[in-house]
Amino acid sequence: MAQSTAHRRLLQEYRALTNNPGPEGTPFEGGVFPAELRFPKDYPLAPPSMKFLGEVWHPNVYPSGLVCISILHPPGDDPNHYEHASERWSPIQSVEKILISVMSMLAEPNDESPANVEAAKMWRDRRGEYEQKVRDGVRRMLGL
Amino acid sequence: MANEQVNVPSLLVILVLSGLIIRYLFFTSPAGAAASAAGRRGGGASQLAATLRAREAQVDRILQMFPQADRRTVLWDLQRNGGNVAATTERILAGRMETPPITFQPPPPGAANGASNAQSQSAAKEPDKPAQPDLIMRYNLQDKITPGSAESPASEATSSARTGTGSGSGKGKAWSSNREERQSLLQKRRDQMILEARRKMEAKIAAEKAAP
Repeated sequence: MAQSTAHRRLLQEYRALTNNPGPEGTPFEGGVFPAELRFPKDYPLAPPSMKFLGEVWHPNVYPSGLVCISILHPPGDDPNHYEHASERWSPIQSVEKILISVMSMLAEPNDESPANVEAAKMWRDRRGEYEQKVRDGVRRMLGL
Repeated sequence: MANEQVNVPSLLVILVLSGLIIRYLFFTSPAGAAASAAGRRGGGASQLAATLRAREAQVDRILQMFPQADRRTVLWDLQRNGGNVAATTERILAGRMETPPITFQPPPPGAANGASNAQSQSAAKEPDKPAQPDLIMRYNLQDKITPGSAESPASEATSSARTGTGSGSGKGKAWSSNREERQSLLQKRRDQMILEARRKMEAKIAAEKAAP
């Protein structure tokens, strides 16, 4: 069966993915967040994009669900020059590393370049309200 | 000799110029006349809708590249350069976007989409919204939710252990070389994950209610 490099590498990574418990004590704890990763044809040279399918209230997640995080940016693509090349995508990164980065992003938002300005404001100024909103979203997602 | 050398380029220039003039006189005006005639015949509205739709698609393309860009600003820029996506992209990249005047009021995003339901963008976005509320609905898990939460984890664990030994691995490592089997195993695992998370959250909420 003729498989592309991208396909083979993805199968290998998919297989390697096991349970990755996230950090504790965040308002996102205990939640399940389905997301869609879209891989370009020339993966792993180019990074995939990641989009949450449900509602995620977070400074670095666009209201559309698109995740804005340095590991998903191709090197040399940063117009603002505050990300190091080492933080951005390269073929030595992997889906697992993306998911780990996203988990730590959920726990510790980066409000330097917010994708959701309202969420960033709330996170900065009204932390209690932000955490409650996130918790409510997590429960709504589980149908509770 | 010198005379002739000058003549060749000037001849070319004359040829090109006359070609352009002929093209302008005989090819654009009939098309324009036909278009205006069509407009007079009542096709003006549909033509407007078509340009709106095209503009909408261009804006969507740019907003996909630059989600942070303002829709109205992008529309204004596209309108000014006659729908040149590349030029607008360049301007956004260079940070030279100008803010549109207050008098510029673009139609709301839905206006052109409403006219063309077949547009893929709107079609892709619409099923997103109703599917958003919760995972139980999304993956049809309603009938798998059991109120007796104390018993169900055990029974599910045994059933998954059975399938796990069947495929030659433990509970966590659901991997099969068969494509269909792998898919169903992974889907099952996803469902279990959601149901388990829901059970845990239920217990947590119950504990919170009992504590204070």
